[in-house]
Parts: sequence; structure tokens; C-alpha cells
Amino acid sequence: MLSFFNILLLLQETETRVDLMKRAAVNPDLSKFLVIGALLFIIGVAGVLTRRNIIVIFMSIELILNAANLNFIAFSRYLSAMGNVNAVAGQIFAVFVIVVAAAEAAIGLGIVIALYRNKETIWVDEIDLLKW
Amino acid sequence: MTLSGYEALFFWIFGLAAIFAGLLTVMARNAVHSALFLISSLISVAALFILARAEFIAGVQILVYVGGVMVLFLFVIMLVNVGAEERGAEEIFNNQRQVTASLIFCLLLVGGMLYAINTGYRGLQARYPATPDAVAAQEILRDEAHAPSATGSSRITKDTERVGSSLYRYASLPFEIASILLLVAIIGSVMLARTLKQEASADDVDPDFESP
Repeated sequence: MLSFFNILLLLQETETRVDLMKRAAVNPDLSKFLVIGALLFIIGVAGVLTRRNIIVIFMSIELILNAANLNFIAFSRYLSAMGNVNAVAGQIFAVFVIVVAAAEAAIGLGIVIALYRNKETIWVDEIDLLKW
Repeated sequence: MTLSGYEALFFWIFGLAAIFAGLLTVMARNAVHSALFLISSLISVAALFILARAEFIAGVQILVYVGGVMVLFLFVIMLVNVGAEERGAEEIFNNQRQVTASLIFCLLLVGGMLYAINTGYRGLQARYPATPDAVAAQEILRDEAHAPSATGSSRITKDTERVGSSLYRYASLPFEIASILLLVAIIGSVMLARTLKQEASADDVDPDFESP
């Protein structure tokens, strides 16, 4: 019973959870960038898994790569704020991710056009030539 | 690294805009609407890059993604026929079981990632116990070493300069490999997208040879 009252008293002394969340929302830090990156990543994964249109699947892949870029940039910013002089490495990685994404989009859309010319469809469930 | 004041406000505006535009990209029925929502999501993420002081990457993102890749997407959407989707004649999602399974998988994944971010960030804070105020004060000191801009309202950082010099100094081999990758992508997409007639004429065969 005593410990229960202690917990009650401690709860009265310290900030409530809502106060903590409010303070974290007024001053967003690294973890908020990571949360937004994670949500964008998940939206992209859901798009890849659920959509039938192959072009929208490619767009979802771009969303996933963009979420990874956001994480790179956020960590670069965090490290430079902590006084790390070589923190631009994250930005350089982001440049390379953008390059690879551009190459992937060019090749993928070329494949889509070739596929459409042969099979007359952009629905991925109708592209089942290799299905046993 | 904590944003405050207007930076925090714009962080939430652009972060929520990026997430909602991403959701609408996945949910939109028309592929052109998807592309336009993806463009707004990419621009919001570019704004987040600016808030994280990566101005060069934000510019590259808008020039390469919005100016290049998304125009390519829109051209391909015009080339392939998506009329059935717009009229609502075709289902845009996979069948019910696949959608349910993938949504459950995504929920598990996002739960795991949010848990990992929370515990990992707490561990990071415990490992480097510098208080945010001290870090911010040090950063203000470092910022004041830079030259003021012409209007005097901000300072000219050397971040972009450092990105450029590091790209050529420490990452010159990956840079060359990336240029070869882009060359291969150009040639490959031209090879993939040419018609049967062009293919046959390049191979020096009669173009009417195998017309079905």
C-alpha cells in the first residue's frame, strides 16, 4: 500500500506523459525525423505489396528510397550537431541513393514499356509467364 | 539537434504533408494522380532536408526527382493505357487475402520500427549524455564563425562546399562507378524501349521478317 502511494506521489511530482509528449512535439529531434522516415518507408512497402499497377509499384519504390534518404540526412545533421566534422558522409550517401534511384527508374520504365508492347498489360497479376 | 520555433512548426507541416501525400500516392485510383501526389511528397521531403541543413541534397532532390524521374514516370503513364483504371472498371489492389496479409505485415513492421527507434534513441541519449541545451549552444558558437549573408539575416555555411570536396576526395571511386552505372542505364533503357521494327533494322534484318 505504501509503495502504491509512493507511485502516486511520484506521478504527481514528475511530468505526466502528455506533458512530455507535448515538449517533444514542440522541439522535434532526431527521433521524429526517424519516425517520419519509418512511416514513409512503411507506406512504400504497403504500396509495393498491395497495388496491381506496375507504375505505381515503381513510385512506391521511389518512396522507400526517399525514406532511406531522410534517415541518412537526419543522422548527418545529428552527427554534425554533436560536433563530428566528417558528418557530410550521410549527404554523400544520399547523393548516391538518388543516382541509383534515377538509374533504376530509367531501366524499370524501359522494361514496363517493353512489357506493355508484348503483353498489352500493366497489371502485375497478369504478368505470370514464369508462374508454374 | 532539436528544432525550435518556426523550424519545429515547418517540420510538422512538411512531415505530415509528406506522409499524407505518400498515403494518397498509394491509394489514388488514377496513376497520374499518384504521380502528382508523389511529387508533393518528394517536395515535402526536400523541405525536411532543408530543415536538416542539407540544402544541396534538397536541390538535387527537386532537380533530379521532380524534374527528371517524375517527368519520365508521367511520360510512361501516357504511353501505356490506364483508361480502365480511371473508369473504375479494374480493381486497383490485389485480391483480398494478399492485401490483408500485407497490411498485417506492414503493421507489425511499423510497430517494430517505432519500438526500435524509441529504445535506440533512448540508448543513444544515454550513451552521449550531452544535454540538448549545451549542444545547441555549441552549435550556435560554430554557426557564428561563418560569414553573414548579404541581408544579414542568416549565415553562409560551408556545408555544400564540404559535400562537394568530400565527394571528390573521399568518394571519387564510387562517383566514377555511379557515372558508369548511369551510362549503362541510358544504354539499357534505350535498348529496352525500342520497337521490334527498330530492333530488326539495327540487326540488319528485313523488318517484315517476323511480323505476326
